[in-house]
Amino acid sequence: MSSKATIYSFLFMGLAVTALLIVAPVAYAVSLSFYQMDSFVGAPRFVGLDNYARMLSQWVFWRALINGFIYSLGTIVFQVVLGIGFALVLNQVFPGRNIVRGLSILPYLLPTVVVVLTFKWMVDGSIGVLTKVIAALGLPPVQWFESPGAAMASVILVSVWMWTPFVTTTFLAALQTVPSSLYEAAKVDGTNAVQRFFHITLPMLKPILTVIVLLRAVWMFNKFDVIWLLTQGGPVGATEHLAILSYKQAFGQFDIGGGAAVATISFAILSVAVFIYFRLFPLDTE
Amino acid sequence: MAEVRLKQVRKAYGAAVAVHGVDLDIRDGEFVVFLGPSGCGKSTTLRMIAGLEEITTGTVEIGGRDVTRLEPKDRNIAMVFQNYALYPHKTIYENLAFGLRMRKMERAEIDRRVRSASTMLGLDPYLERKPKQLSGGQMQRVALGRALVRDPDVFLLDEPLSNLDAKLRVRMREEIARLHQEVGTSMVYVTHDQVEAMTLANRILIMRDGHVQQVGAPLEVYDRPANLFVAGFIGSPEMNLVDGHIAGTVARCGALSVPLPPDAGAAEGSEVVLGIRPEHVTVAEGPGARPFHVAVIEQLGAQTLCIGDVDGVRLKVLMDRSDAVRHGTTLPVQFRPERLHVFLKQTGLRVNRAGAREGQRPAA
Repeated sequence: MSSKATIYSFLFMGLAVTALLIVAPVAYAVSLSFYQMDSFVGAPRFVGLDNYARMLSQWVFWRALINGFIYSLGTIVFQVVLGIGFALVLNQVFPGRNIVRGLSILPYLLPTVVVVLTFKWMVDGSIGVLTKVIAALGLPPVQWFESPGAAMASVILVSVWMWTPFVTTTFLAALQTVPSSLYEAAKVDGTNAVQRFFHITLPMLKPILTVIVLLRAVWMFNKFDVIWLLTQGGPVGATEHLAILSYKQAFGQFDIGGGAAVATISFAILSVAVFIYFRLFPLDTE
Repeated sequence: MAEVRLKQVRKAYGAAVAVHGVDLDIRDGEFVVFLGPSGCGKSTTLRMIAGLEEITTGTVEIGGRDVTRLEPKDRNIAMVFQNYALYPHKTIYENLAFGLRMRKMERAEIDRRVRSASTMLGLDPYLERKPKQLSGGQMQRVALGRALVRDPDVFLLDEPLSNLDAKLRVRMREEIARLHQEVGTSMVYVTHDQVEAMTLANRILIMRDGHVQQVGAPLEVYDRPANLFVAGFIGSPEMNLVDGHIAGTVARCGALSVPLPPDAGAAEGSEVVLGIRPEHVTVAEGPGARPFHVAVIEQLGAQTLCIGDVDGVRLKVLMDRSDAVRHGTTLPVQFRPERLHVFLKQTGLRVNRAGAREGQRPAA
């Protein structure tokens, strides 16, 4: 086989796998949104854009959209700020640094259900350690999953706890690529530690920061398992975002077309957001 | 501008001692080069002057002020790093201006200084570019410019030309020499390249394993190396070092007898090492000439380096270019006692005091 034929055969295989695993499911999901179906075995009826019109006219959709933004923004801000902070600490030289670095990644390695159950035990009304601490401090008990604000705070807290180590590890790796001579030059140039962070560390981390924020935003906007396991979108829809709404609509209400419409809108929002994001923060390709 | 004084400056990392007490007075406006092989402590000493390395014991004074425990920013020094250490996300203008901005200097004064340095170093066309858009030589000029705008008491340069190719290194060397003449500020320069040291320095400090071996003017260390290490380190091609012992007015090295200078400084029978620079062996007939059998020839262009044997002793001989010399050629060679270096084998220290300069001849 000539080298050109080899190249094309690999290219074709790659495209075929992409089509099979990505394009086909997306196309199928989008196509579902144009039909009325109450199950995957019944006969679908083409309804055009009716599912979109119906979902967009319901306030639960807009509430889920806003909840999605609150959840994504909250988790990203805390994950990035804490992730950079921890990375800066773990980048220092101190006794037992390697052990602490190893431990810091642990929450990310645990299955989501373990993290969620651990948190539920921690806030259990009678035996939870957080409940006891709050009581010992003389503070009023927190209704972790009963009040809308506390429920959203809980899902954000657990998500931050679980995925900050990923951000920390990524930033720690990036920090180690910053030449120490830049910090030394900045010291000679008269900077203090804060100035060095803003003038050296942050600009040097910018390429990785751009990617991390984007990845976390996409993952968090679509995050299903943590919220489902903690609150199932409750109380009264306070933590229900588009992914949960789509699931409930399709498999709770047996409105597969409506669920697919929500998922398609979510996909479109993310696509537009990614496009705008890369226009605002282009990756350095020089 | 200021003088720099190092008093018993020592650096230890736990039990490992990197620098064993350096004493040095650098005069105002002087160009001092720290020279030595990798790991000898020269960069560590420079970094202690800069404040980038904590001083274990001893003191550093700059301009009469004890700066031993001060932060780098409070020492009024400027430093040029081996890998330039330019801020990659800032333009050349911003790189040059950064140190001044951090010192809250007036914007107009910053602009004046940046443009003045940029003109002096030929950087005007590149001010809006980012470092990675420049060549190695241009980046090194920016690094020099960043030091220059600060108008510091002393410039510290840590192997600034190591990352450049040979041709560019020569050009930048000239530029640094010109810069020193123009600004007249004290400079401390670290290198392992003896040519850089010889051409740039007012004085050279030679180090080995954290110990100062010798401090002196370039020709002084070339003419009168204090010990075997300096003798072997300074000079290219390397000095011939031949074991022997004192026997009257000559040193006997196996079958070879080399006439000694009058002030050889070693007792009869002492075990010595003779230092004979390849360029100080005269290829000429005459009384006392010995046959030199050429084994290897290295043509250097203007000169010819021959490696061969004289009375069973392997020597390098550097002479004016000779196209006729071949493997197996025998040449008559003479040794000039006034250019001979005598070191005691036991201590490695130089024992003949004078060590003549070029053109000097032994007393009749």
